[in-house]
Amino acid sequence: MAGERVPLGELSSEFASVQLTIDHDGNGPRLRIEDLRTGHVGFLDPLELETLAWLPEGALHKLLDPSLLRWRGDA
Amino acid sequence: MHATSEAAGMRIDTDLLREVEQFIFREARFQDELEYDRWEALWTDDGVYWVPANGDDTDPTKQVSIIFDNRARIATRIKQLHTGKRHSQTPPSRLRRLVSNVELLGEGDDGQVRAGANFVVYESRERGVTLWAGRSEYTLCRTPDGLRMSYKKVALVDNDRALYTLAFLI
Amino acid sequence: MTSADLANRWDSLIEPGRVHGSLYTDPDIYAAELERIWYRTWVYVGHVSEVPEPNDYVLKSIGPQPVIMSRDKQGQIHLLLNRCSHRANLVCDAQKGNSSAFRCPYHGWTFSNTGKLLGYPFNSGYDGTALKSELGLGRVARVASYQGFVFGSFAQDGPTLEEHLGAATDAFDRLVRLSPTGEVELTAGWLKHKVKANWKMLVENETDGYHPQFVHASIFSVADSGIGELYGDKSVAVCRDLGNGHTENDLRPEFRRLDQPLGWFGTDPAKVPGYVDQLTAVHGDNTREILIDGSPHVMVFPNLFIAEIQLFVIQPLAVDETVQHVTAVQYKGSPDMNRRMLQQTIGSVGPAGFLLADDSEMYERNQRGVHARTPEWLTIKRGLHRERRDENDHVIGDATDEVPQRAIWKHYRSLMEGQ
Repeated sequence: MAGERVPLGELSSEFASVQLTIDHDGNGPRLRIEDLRTGHVGFLDPLELETLAWLPEGALHKLLDPSLLRWRGDA
Repeated sequence: MHATSEAAGMRIDTDLLREVEQFIFREARFQDELEYDRWEALWTDDGVYWVPANGDDTDPTKQVSIIFDNRARIATRIKQLHTGKRHSQTPPSRLRRLVSNVELLGEGDDGQVRAGANFVVYESRERGVTLWAGRSEYTLCRTPDGLRMSYKKVALVDNDRALYTLAFLI
Repeated sequence: MTSADLANRWDSLIEPGRVHGSLYTDPDIYAAELERIWYRTWVYVGHVSEVPEPNDYVLKSIGPQPVIMSRDKQGQIHLLLNRCSHRANLVCDAQKGNSSAFRCPYHGWTFSNTGKLLGYPFNSGYDGTALKSELGLGRVARVASYQGFVFGSFAQDGPTLEEHLGAATDAFDRLVRLSPTGEVELTAGWLKHKVKANWKMLVENETDGYHPQFVHASIFSVADSGIGELYGDKSVAVCRDLGNGHTENDLRPEFRRLDQPLGWFGTDPAKVPGYVDQLTAVHGDNTREILIDGSPHVMVFPNLFIAEIQLFVIQPLAVDETVQHVTAVQYKGSPDMNRRMLQQTIGSVGPAGFLLADDSEMYERNQRGVHARTPEWLTIKRGLHRERRDENDHVIGDATDEVPQRAIWKHYRSLMEGQ
């Protein structure tokens, strides 16, 4: 069912707003995440999502550092 | 109940609008001038008087409200004011309110009319002057004695903040 | 005034039977109270049911201090100061939410919900990474809870929460015992009622059994309420000094004399059969006694008032400005009882409440009155001649006596004098 997109809804907090969609453009389904503040889009496949379900406390701390990716120190 | 069209140029029932306006202005005067019994007589026997807290659309059966009176509790409120020992209104606040933006919001086959209006109340007490602002929404019923309120909801602009005592009729 | 001057002043301000009016009006005394009471002793902050899920947070306060109460992924509760360690912006703005991290809206500094600084944008602007380990969110030094009630203390050391609560722990035990699940939930939201009065006016009034017949005469005369008689001269109820500034109006003797299950709540078991069945399943033959004794009326110093079916949190904002936050007690899993407790709460308390509007009027008149120059003192001698001790060696008095007020001031003085 390539091209079909199943909207899951919007999740917002005071810190972020994302829109979630199940995307079928590829050979298998993926979670499509759109950062509604910038329009930036990322994808997570089922194995990545399963891994996230097992994240220990603090595993995302490094990624939550603003200068790691978006506001890079060397930019 | 069918909603009044919001489309520009829609004809409105000006007689009804004037009647509703006069009702709301009279209610405001009864409140300002401490005509407690005449105000209470504006209610139907199943009236509900609601002043929500922490937002305008909470569930009053699950969340606290500033006022959520059924008809019996409206009567108690008036009786308490009449005792002369309701200290928070003894002496009563000096009050004047402006009511504006009166709008018909819908009309039902059973003669019920929904209306909305904005208000500002200037309250003077020993503590000082307090301004109260908000929007009232009414459901009005046609009775042999004229229009009567079966529902009044008062959405205060600052209902999510700490408020001074509100013991007069809002 | 220096703190040494203040230390020498307490003798001349607080006596066993009277207190000086300036205690309610002097900004220097208020400033000293913040340091010695609010920023030192255990202060009630919030309830675990307000952050039920991992990564939930809610904005709270300790006096004028803005506090974030968060629950981390492991379930542990943290009390953090809502102040970015960079340039002091408020980090959280929403009243509540769910997030494992907080990102300051000013420059993007990002903190875990345990207070750790995770990073800031464009990190090459700082020389090295030492900042990261140094600049977490400020935190309330000690956090502890009792029966789901979370308290914070800014002092690194001092009595434990249970030592501080002492005999008042029994009030929490009695409160949750009325819930068939043994848990209460504070899920009904808070009314925030502001008064132009010193915070101690409120604390002293909560367990003042002398005022109801006067201040609340209007509602007692038009509504079918038995509250007035509970505090009458024929009442066998007592007031009690629970120690550490905690005080009580113990109405159980009167309720036991009346011998009516749920009489304390103005209803009877036939009206809430579901609740009574639930409670009976847990407590069996003891249920009747539990329903007769009812819910506690206890002021936990300095800011939590357990008022039978309501909880009040007292928040001082200035020497003459105080906010009382109030919510309805809800028993986890008892919808029929919860509905009634909520509706009774809405009727009684908050800015338009049949009871609290008049209490609040008294607080404000009291605050204006205390500015008058003479007689300078407030008298709290009522029942001094008939004080006695109960079987637990607590000082008690008759229903309308000023044992609680004397107890509050005694503890207040010990805190203000303490180094």
